[in-house]
Amino acid sequence: MAVVSSSPHLRSGIKTPYVMKQVLIALLPAVIASIIFFKQLAVFLILNCCLSAVVTESIICKIRKRPLALYDYSALITGLLLALILPPSISWYAATLGSVFAVIAGKHLFGGLGYNIFNPALIGRAFLMAAYPKMLTVYVKPFNIDAISSATPLALRKFSHAMTPLGDLFLGNVAGSLGETSALCLIIGGLYLIIRKIADWRTPLSILLTIGLISFVFYRINPTNGSVLFHLLSGGLLIGALFMATDPVTTPVTKLGRYVFGIGTAIVIMVIRYWGGLQEGVMYGVLFMNAFTPLINRYTRPKRFGS
Amino acid sequence: MLKVAERKQPQHNIATEKALSAKKLYLALSQHTGKPSQPCVKINDIVEEGQLIAKDDGYISSMLHAPSKAKVTGIGDYYHPNLGRAQTITLDCVDEEKKYFEEKRISDFSKEDLKTKIKNAGIVGMGGAAFPTHVKLSPPKKIDTFIINGCECEPYLAADYRLMVENLHYILKGVELICKIIEPKNVIFAVEENSPDAIKKINQFKSLKRINLPDFKLAVLKSSYPQGGEKQLIHSTTSRMVPPKGLPFDVGCLVNNVATCFAIYEAVYLAKPLTQRLVSFCGDALETPKNIWVKIGTTLEELFNSGVLELKAEPKKIVCGGPMMGTALDSLKYPILKGTGGFLFLSEDISVEEESTCIRCARCVDVCPMNLLPLEYAKLTKKEEFEKLDNFNIVDCIECGSCAYSCPASIPLVHYIKIGKKYGSSK
Repeated sequence: MAVVSSSPHLRSGIKTPYVMKQVLIALLPAVIASIIFFKQLAVFLILNCCLSAVVTESIICKIRKRPLALYDYSALITGLLLALILPPSISWYAATLGSVFAVIAGKHLFGGLGYNIFNPALIGRAFLMAAYPKMLTVYVKPFNIDAISSATPLALRKFSHAMTPLGDLFLGNVAGSLGETSALCLIIGGLYLIIRKIADWRTPLSILLTIGLISFVFYRINPTNGSVLFHLLSGGLLIGALFMATDPVTTPVTKLGRYVFGIGTAIVIMVIRYWGGLQEGVMYGVLFMNAFTPLINRYTRPKRFGS
Repeated sequence: MLKVAERKQPQHNIATEKALSAKKLYLALSQHTGKPSQPCVKINDIVEEGQLIAKDDGYISSMLHAPSKAKVTGIGDYYHPNLGRAQTITLDCVDEEKKYFEEKRISDFSKEDLKTKIKNAGIVGMGGAAFPTHVKLSPPKKIDTFIINGCECEPYLAADYRLMVENLHYILKGVELICKIIEPKNVIFAVEENSPDAIKKINQFKSLKRINLPDFKLAVLKSSYPQGGEKQLIHSTTSRMVPPKGLPFDVGCLVNNVATCFAIYEAVYLAKPLTQRLVSFCGDALETPKNIWVKIGTTLEELFNSGVLELKAEPKKIVCGGPMMGTALDSLKYPILKGTGGFLFLSEDISVEEESTCIRCARCVDVCPMNLLPLEYAKLTKKEEFEKLDNFNIVDCIECGSCAYSCPASIPLVHYIKIGKKYGSSK
């Protein structure tokens, strides 16, 4: 007996787990760099966050009587992304807590994968920022993890008007969150996602261009504001633009909307970097625009064919 | 538009054959868009080949003819590929072939004569939609561009391609007749890049510059899906966009499929009604794919029983039409309709997978040729908020299947869209 089902009878073969796996592959360079820079701190933090996220996901799926959805790798991505945006020296219990919170409050409270409004990993980080503000501002330098804390390039600029060499920023030999320091590795991963058509280029491009434009203007006004390349390469910008702002669930589905999202994110980031109390604004920039995503979708619908 | 695996080999290179001696024929009264035809024969009547057996009913309707000398053995319910079951005339055929001869003086015919001949031959659009052709040829507005649709964008199917390769001359004679009726300023012959032999043949014809054939422009379009969709084809060839709920004549265009042009040639030159067509039989469950001239009303069962088609594996899925828009059939009892360009026999069914949650990746949005947001249709239909579907212009959807093809969560978007249209419009 032949199967009767609605057309089409062909499929592209690309499935959600494949898409998610590509994101994990794209994060590999940054993971490797973090292990080189921060040694056992990186290994423990990554294992901690990933394991807590996956275990939490399993328990929640059981409680919600949902089929276990680990195969879609989304919990693993949340854990890994969170690890990469936390300070390497954060206490293990804070990291675990952040990861558990990210999966529960960032994802399942909204209804699970596909229904969450905010990026879960960023929710986890925002929670830790509120719960353990001090831990989230203490960073160590690569290769020198036992030494006392060191300021990040953005903090150096903001609070002591000191500029970090661009070469160090590009390769990642600076203090910062675990996976955000090496611009090179993030760019490799981001390009991979864009070339494989997993992430749309519109969002990251509009973020980077807007950041570039704003920082160009302000650098002209006063060089202590930081140069274009300094702002593009420092802090969480690249991991945010390439891996957070391209999260399909929490960003617009329309092409025009992706530009709007990117430009908005970049503006919030630069406002915080120049005038905010914090040294970095990528997390709040993305979260802020996440909240606007339904609205952006609504007002950027593609033009009807033939109208 | 979408890049799909074309899967046109080997059927693109398989010459057509004939399988015109059916024992039984099942002629549905709904072969076309519009009102079903009205039977004008009774049970036990003996009908000649080409004899009218059902008349048109109203303006948008069509006529139906006996494909063979036969005895009428039934008028009633039978399997219909698109409707499930429908009123059907059953014929028990006598194996006797009528010969048709080309009439010479077609220049004597006026526009109205030609239209009447096309109407009386029961010609409908043979690309799938089966819209009565005589209605299309009487547009309420002036047509300046006539587009010959040689874009067989559905994967697998090769019937139109073989027709272009083997019978281009007659297609162009049909085109000449259409041009006589609607007097367009431009004639565009549109084919896809993946049709090399057809392109070669068309170019040869163009260089011959036969005086009695109309001049036309060859447009070789990118092989993408749904390039052969009427609105997409008009846009690709003329950059004009048919407005929402509009028809091609709204932008001064007329589109006819190559097989329809061929049928018009036969109707006018040979006085032969539309009683047979070229059909592509493809898929990995077949011993060999074939392109066969069959009589309208022949069942798949008979083609297999008579050995014309052979299975090498149990088909898990039988599709009437192409894989993107075709209808899945539950058995081989179904007859071939005027609008059926192909059948698929697939040994594996890859389309039915458990759907997972939408991750809003927007692949469906990116590929939609009508600029719609298909993910919203699935979401709203599942929530039964049918009244909101109109806000997302669900009427514009041509159900091409590009969205469901691309969805990584295996959401049967076309299924939800069909349900949504059904319940949304009933309010």
